[in-house]
Amino acid sequence: MNSDLAQHEPGWAAEPRKVHVIQGEFHVSNEDVVMTTILGSCVAACIRDPVARVGGMNHFLLPGATGDEGLRYGVQSMELLVNALLRKGARRDRLEVKLFGGAHLFDGLSDVGAQNSNFAEAFVRDESLNYVGGSLRGDRARRIQYWPISGRARQILLAPTESRVFAVEQRRPAPAPAQDAGALELF
Amino acid sequence: MPASSSLTCLVVDDQQTMRSLVRTGLQQLGFRTIYEAPDGEEGLRHMLSRPIHLVISDYNMPKLDGLGLLRAIRSHPPIQKTAFIMLTGRADKELVQRAVQFGVNNYLVKPFTVATLKEKIEAIFGVLA
Repeated sequence: MNSDLAQHEPGWAAEPRKVHVIQGEFHVSNEDVVMTTILGSCVAACIRDPVARVGGMNHFLLPGATGDEGLRYGVQSMELLVNALLRKGARRDRLEVKLFGGAHLFDGLSDVGAQNSNFAEAFVRDESLNYVGGSLRGDRARRIQYWPISGRARQILLAPTESRVFAVEQRRPAPAPAQDAGALELF
Repeated sequence: MPASSSLTCLVVDDQQTMRSLVRTGLQQLGFRTIYEAPDGEEGLRHMLSRPIHLVISDYNMPKLDGLGLLRAIRSHPPIQKTAFIMLTGRADKELVQRAVQFGVNNYLVKPFTVATLKEKIEAIFGVLA
């Protein structure tokens, strides 16, 4: 039986459940999962607390990528991830951050990837978070896997042709950041 | 019509980046005296040591969260009438309703624009000069 083999043979242990994180979303877990995403000019922050054994990943693209409006959206994306970690027992001073993505996939267009990368690095620096590694910029799309409890991350660079196809697919408009949802009319 | 330059504001958020964004927005609206605190406890100490007209506070914070700060302010007679805007990560109806019970003046869902910030402040103080 597979379950018996899994119990006695470490090599047969069940694969951790995969959680795919798409643009504009984040996921946090303290379970044995592997978080995955594919990045072009977007950036993913992979953050964990090694003591609380909880970690998570987000995936964001600054809309317009310049100015305060884009900045607000990026800050919100990072804050949602950090707050979700804190709610699961993480402590801000123990957080370890890895950053991936921010590629420049099209010559001649503004370097949105660099702007996303610059924002992510500035956020980590300004919030005094512990940056432990990652891979930003370049000209290739990336497939990322992240194990939130161990903090292990694996990056697979897509071939240039694959990157081009992926970039074309990604050129649809980024979802607009949620503005004040009008659902609450209390004032 | 109050002059925004005459209003003092305290921004309370555990994220320095968010405090800077709010500060920038307030400066664009003409505010000149802006203080910052990284959590509710330090925010309350600011409140008790200098006159503050407006508090803009995050909800999720260590030590003393936004609701705790709001309750503390409303229970201290010298500062209990200070205007208070709660920053929330999403339109959380339950949270906003609890904040209303504790006397919040308005709320702001992140990410927000300077225009929305202005609208929320003017809903409390009237049109800013």
